[in-house]
Amino acid sequence: MHGYGIAQRLRQVSGDVLQVGESSLYPALQRLLLNGWVKAEWGASENNRRARYYTLTAAGRKQLAAERAEFARVIGAIEKVLNMA
Amino acid sequence: MKLQVHTSLLRAWRRLVFRWRRAQRDRELAEEIEFHRALKQTENRRAGLAPEAAGELSRVQMGNVTMAAEECRDMWSFLRLERLLQDIRYAARVFRRAPGFTAIAVLSLAVGIGGNAAMFTLVNTLLVRPLPYRQPDRLIRITGIYPRAAVPFFQQRTRTMDVAAVSPGAEYNLTGQGEATRIFGSAASANLFRVLGAAVAAGRSFEPGEDSPGRDSVVILSNSLWRTKFGGDPSVIGRAIALNGVPRRIVGIMPPAFAYPSAQVQAWVPMRLDPSNFLEFWAGEFVPLVARLGDGRTLAEARLEIPPLIGEFRKTFPYPMARDWNRDSTAIPLQRDLTGDIRGKLIILLCSVGLVLLIACANVASLLLSRATTRRKEIALRVALGARRLRIVRQLLTESILLALAGGGLGLFAGMGALSIFKSLLPSSTPGLAQAAIDWPVAAAVAGLALATGLAFGIAPALSASQVDLAQAIRTGSQRSTAAFWTHLRGGLIGGEVALTVVLVVSAGLLIKSLYTLSDVRPGFLPDRILTVRISPNSSFCTQRPACIALYERLLEGARGVPGVAEAVVADTVPLDAEQPDLAVDVEGHLKSVDHPAPMLWSGAISPGYIRMMHIPLLAGRDLAEADGAKAAAVLLISASTAKHFWPGENPIGKHIKSAGEQQWRTVVGVVGDVRQYSLSKALPDWIQGAIYMPYTQAVREDGQIPAAMTLLAKARAIDEGVVREIRKLAQDQNPNVPIGQVQPLEEVVTGSIANFRATIRVFIAFAAAAMLLAAIGIYGLVSYWVTQRTYEIGLRAAIGATRSRIVSMILAQGLRVAAYGIGAGVLAALAATRFLASLLYGVGAADPLTFAAVTGLVLLIAASATAVPAWRASRIDPIKSLRVD
Repeated sequence: MHGYGIAQRLRQVSGDVLQVGESSLYPALQRLLLNGWVKAEWGASENNRRARYYTLTAAGRKQLAAERAEFARVIGAIEKVLNMA
Repeated sequence: MKLQVHTSLLRAWRRLVFRWRRAQRDRELAEEIEFHRALKQTENRRAGLAPEAAGELSRVQMGNVTMAAEECRDMWSFLRLERLLQDIRYAARVFRRAPGFTAIAVLSLAVGIGGNAAMFTLVNTLLVRPLPYRQPDRLIRITGIYPRAAVPFFQQRTRTMDVAAVSPGAEYNLTGQGEATRIFGSAASANLFRVLGAAVAAGRSFEPGEDSPGRDSVVILSNSLWRTKFGGDPSVIGRAIALNGVPRRIVGIMPPAFAYPSAQVQAWVPMRLDPSNFLEFWAGEFVPLVARLGDGRTLAEARLEIPPLIGEFRKTFPYPMARDWNRDSTAIPLQRDLTGDIRGKLIILLCSVGLVLLIACANVASLLLSRATTRRKEIALRVALGARRLRIVRQLLTESILLALAGGGLGLFAGMGALSIFKSLLPSSTPGLAQAAIDWPVAAAVAGLALATGLAFGIAPALSASQVDLAQAIRTGSQRSTAAFWTHLRGGLIGGEVALTVVLVVSAGLLIKSLYTLSDVRPGFLPDRILTVRISPNSSFCTQRPACIALYERLLEGARGVPGVAEAVVADTVPLDAEQPDLAVDVEGHLKSVDHPAPMLWSGAISPGYIRMMHIPLLAGRDLAEADGAKAAAVLLISASTAKHFWPGENPIGKHIKSAGEQQWRTVVGVVGDVRQYSLSKALPDWIQGAIYMPYTQAVREDGQIPAAMTLLAKARAIDEGVVREIRKLAQDQNPNVPIGQVQPLEEVVTGSIANFRATIRVFIAFAAAAMLLAAIGIYGLVSYWVTQRTYEIGLRAAIGATRSRIVSMILAQGLRVAAYGIGAGVLAALAATRFLASLLYGVGAADPLTFAAVTGLVLLIAASATAVPAWRASRIDPIKSLRVD
């Protein structure tokens, strides 16, 4: 998926709640590249222009699982606290 | 953890790849973002916007693309590293532009750091690094010295340690291997090497029981003796040699680093433990005991055990032993024992080089402070262009650390030179001294020291420089504005520098005065034009008294026949050389008891004519004469202090003294002047109560024998090479199996006895001179800086009528005020510090007012001359020019 696609998808899936600013999307992608969590390849887009496509790597998947577990733990904790109120 | 390291390594690698192809990454990113924008534009068009409006909106929607690209670029590079390299390049440029400043700063730091590198090496090798033996922290020394009988006694009775003994060493004649030579050997109990945990390099160590009589004819060689005398031949093991005429088989060779009990020892023989040999077992040379703590035993336990053991042992003596004999003995770590004498000296030297480094730092800091002021405009410009304060501080710190590292690098080389000088100040027999060399740990410590000093002297100037008032600095170049705090700090630095200088100069002054007093000491004899040469036959050679005496009579006759020689005598020792014969005696009218054991006397064996030739005054009675021969009545001379000690207010002539082992009394026939036999600085050691001279033909040592090794003293009309050659030839011709020492003028023996002290003084003078030079530079720099800063003010003063002399005295007063504060603080500090020098001083108090006054005057003079030049320059300031400048 290319950068534009990622931004679009994020917006659609979150029902317009999460909007990633373009100016922070690309540095974020670069950071993921640097950490080796995604890899990038140039390919042809739907309208036949050159576009860079990003895919998760194995290391990225592992990191995602770890982050997700951590996130769930925090959210769970927050929920518990909120429920108490 | 391992995973993290792996990831961060990978990240660094990718970053390197990205950095390498940065241009391409940049292009790709731009393309990607543009692609994104294009899609946005299409999206906007679909929403029904006009083409231009859609493009416009898409650009707005993309946000700050330049910033994002910048952020990515930062990510692809090693930003910190690149900034650092940039700072270093810049610093190098700055230094190239100011070569004088750079040279002074780097050199003064090199001196300070070099001295410290050398001292670190010594302290590390001698005091810190563990002894090169197995589990060295388990090794202890039992203080005090003991007869050989104590060795088996302690070995059998102790429950906390494994006891060994080793004699400090004595000279032996080595024969059976080339020319006869005199070597230094030590007698060791058979278990010594096992107790130390030191392995032989070749052959074997002593075996248990090899210290018992009949089995002790073996020897272990030091590496140096093996190499020099045996050509490093591995087949020497098993070969027979003779030491003092006793045949011994070589069984082992020690590794080069082994130096116990001292680096002087060239061979080890078993310490024979023979209860049937009364003299050797109970009365001969007393030896130190070393031990290894038993498994699970502590030093405290050993300390508890020692005093009762000594008490029991004292009762087993076959002759009365003082009640308080070795009463204070205890166990101390072996390392502390080995470094005991030099620890104080090392620490004094370490403190001194530390002071020099501090002075150098203060100086460089002050130089940097003044440079920071002159660079105000440049820095203000950088601030105006957007440099943050932290960035500027970092740039300036990079400069100072770079200076320090350059100084440190140069200092390592200076340290190698300094190390060989410092080594010459310590006794060469110190174990481990020869191995001391600047190594990696020391180099690392030096690098650390350089970094720390760079930070220390750089932080204040960097902070001061970064505090700029932009508008004012750029407008005026800040010739007139001063941040009072930093100026005061600078004054304080220079004042402190002067104070430290005073401490070092006072130390040097006290030592110089000691040397002066010492060289003025009357040693009690006149060494003029006297040549000495040591001849040392085996003591077995002298069991036949007549043969021994005949040898020396022949030698004396020969020496008197040498052209140019006026007189010749023999003596078993000359003053201030290493041989110090002592003898336990009975004194007539002085009963011995447990509380008053046999007195020890220095005992010289001389031929008649010695007293006259040495110009030792005869105070009462008569001198020894040729008639006092081997068969005549036994006589002796005593020194004036001996007479006063034993017979105060009485006439000592006709009284009697004898060696503790003898039956027959010897009659005192004369009293002669006191002679400094042991050292120039001290008359006699505490445990020696007096001095006697016997005719050598009648003389005895503790073993009842005539002393075998003698020194020939020949008074020449003038000392020249011919006489020296003749004397040497004469000595060599007597007997090829008798080793001959160097022919040495007695004056050299005398000066040689304080050579070590002289060397110490030279080092202190060097420290003091370096400190004074640095302080002078510091004061000069400070005052010049004031003058530069106050050019406007001084011009104004001149314009409204201040005379030149007024301006000069104003500047002088200001410079001298800083110096005076420094001197005041320095005198106080020196009063506190010189107490630690007391052990090195002679005939001068640690708070000698004369020295303090002279040093105060000297430092003031230096401060005045360092201030004079800028003061003079200030008086030449042209009011017209200085007022027009801004």
